[in-house]
Amino acid sequence: MSDEPQPDIVHLNLPLSPEEARSLSLGDMVLLDGEVTVSAGMITQERIIEALESGEDLPFDLQGQAFFHMGSNCREENGKWLPNYVNPTTSTRFDALMPTIIRGLGLTSVGGKGGMGPQCVEAMQEIGCVYFSMPGGASPLLTNGVVERLETGWDDLIEQFRLARYQLKSFGPVTVAIDAHGNSMFQKLQQEAADKLPGILQELAAARQK
Amino acid sequence: MPITYDIIRKASRDLYEWSLKKVPDDTLEALAQAEKKETKLASRRTLQFMQAAARAAETEDRHACSDAGFPAYFVKIGTKLTLDGDIRRAFVDGFEDLVKTIEPPILKFITHPLTMERSYTGRDMPALSFDVIDGADYMEITCSPKALGSGRWADMKIFVYPKIEEIEAYFMDCVLAAGSQHCPPVIIGMGIGGSFDHAAKMAKKATLRKIGSKHSDPMIQDMEERLLIAVNKTGFGPMGTGGDTTALAVHVDYAHGHSFVPVAVCFNCWINRRTTLRISNDGEVTRLE
Repeated sequence: MSDEPQPDIVHLNLPLSPEEARSLSLGDMVLLDGEVTVSAGMITQERIIEALESGEDLPFDLQGQAFFHMGSNCREENGKWLPNYVNPTTSTRFDALMPTIIRGLGLTSVGGKGGMGPQCVEAMQEIGCVYFSMPGGASPLLTNGVVERLETGWDDLIEQFRLARYQLKSFGPVTVAIDAHGNSMFQKLQQEAADKLPGILQELAAARQK
Repeated sequence: MPITYDIIRKASRDLYEWSLKKVPDDTLEALAQAEKKETKLASRRTLQFMQAAARAAETEDRHACSDAGFPAYFVKIGTKLTLDGDIRRAFVDGFEDLVKTIEPPILKFITHPLTMERSYTGRDMPALSFDVIDGADYMEITCSPKALGSGRWADMKIFVYPKIEEIEAYFMDCVLAAGSQHCPPVIIGMGIGGSFDHAAKMAKKATLRKIGSKHSDPMIQDMEERLLIAVNKTGFGPMGTGGDTTALAVHVDYAHGHSFVPVAVCFNCWINRRTTLRISNDGEVTRLE
């Protein structure tokens, strides 16, 4: 065990302003309140881009909002849509689409798992946007931070692909894994691992001789 | 009394639900051990969060992950048992039962590979693999649903007269390509030798082995041990928080073949969905995990 200081986990209210996004540092662990729009669909993002290009309205306003790569399922109870479960999906598969969406909608935060590629990082720096990384497969605890679903859009799509707007309270903790200054924890780890690889292969060779 | 269509239909339905709501005990234990050794705070917190989420899934009857994957079963049939009814059909119908009855419901994940259309049914769904156990009077079924998160990072290469170092270097290339996107800490399977299809199956089955179990061949035991150390030196850590635990286990298997050597590598994410039951010849069903 190390003697690292135990930083307090602070609350942030979504959507962030670009200034708030820029004030966050790589590795900050935070709990999220406020509103977020989620979808796990590639087709959903393609539709967002089509709408941005044609000037057509989206089902609800996403300008300057938080957009998470997340699947979800709800049940109706007393006129409210309560979550059965939510969970992040792999963000890198949207790498070709997200730079256009981040710029077009001026997103101030994106969430998911696994990070996003260099062109997304560049767009985020330009706009003032951070990436919140959340654990995959920890659905029960993540879902406990979701109050209710406020609305959905593009209901012709299957449930996890629709745009769904949620109210969050103490969602997470999630980690700032890409900041608004061009730093990505994923790129950093990838680079470090690549740098370590020759040494690791040498150690494997030595272990084989034993 | 033979093992009937009805028994297998119910068994396949139940196995799937269990796999969604319980992280196997060996995996929970490995996560707890990893947390004790982990030197980085963010990584420790992530491992704690995972364990708490897994406990909540089990005690509160909730899904560990929102993505239920597609159904995949590994069936071992004892040569001394008697079967009655359509066994493949039992798995298809068992999955249909699951879709109709599981609470909370599962979403559509079965995807047509060419149109990307999603559904609750599909060609060759559930994915079934059959094997025999000589002399046994029981059947064992393991369910291990698979989703994109860790499924997409599997890889395979055909070598010709490879040196062990080439195989291990390729293994590390696969580890680096996946980075921290497969929901680490993962269980890694590697199949070496046989044919193209056999190597892939060995790799997959290797991920189903219990964490802490040992391969019967000392040469493979040594390889597993050094590869696990190597993976955990990469520093990706739990969910890409850095740290010391990128994999909980590396499991390797091999088969003789010819001088071309297929090497397959695949990953299972930290929730390590895997449940097994045994059906004896008198129809009694025992959940093994």
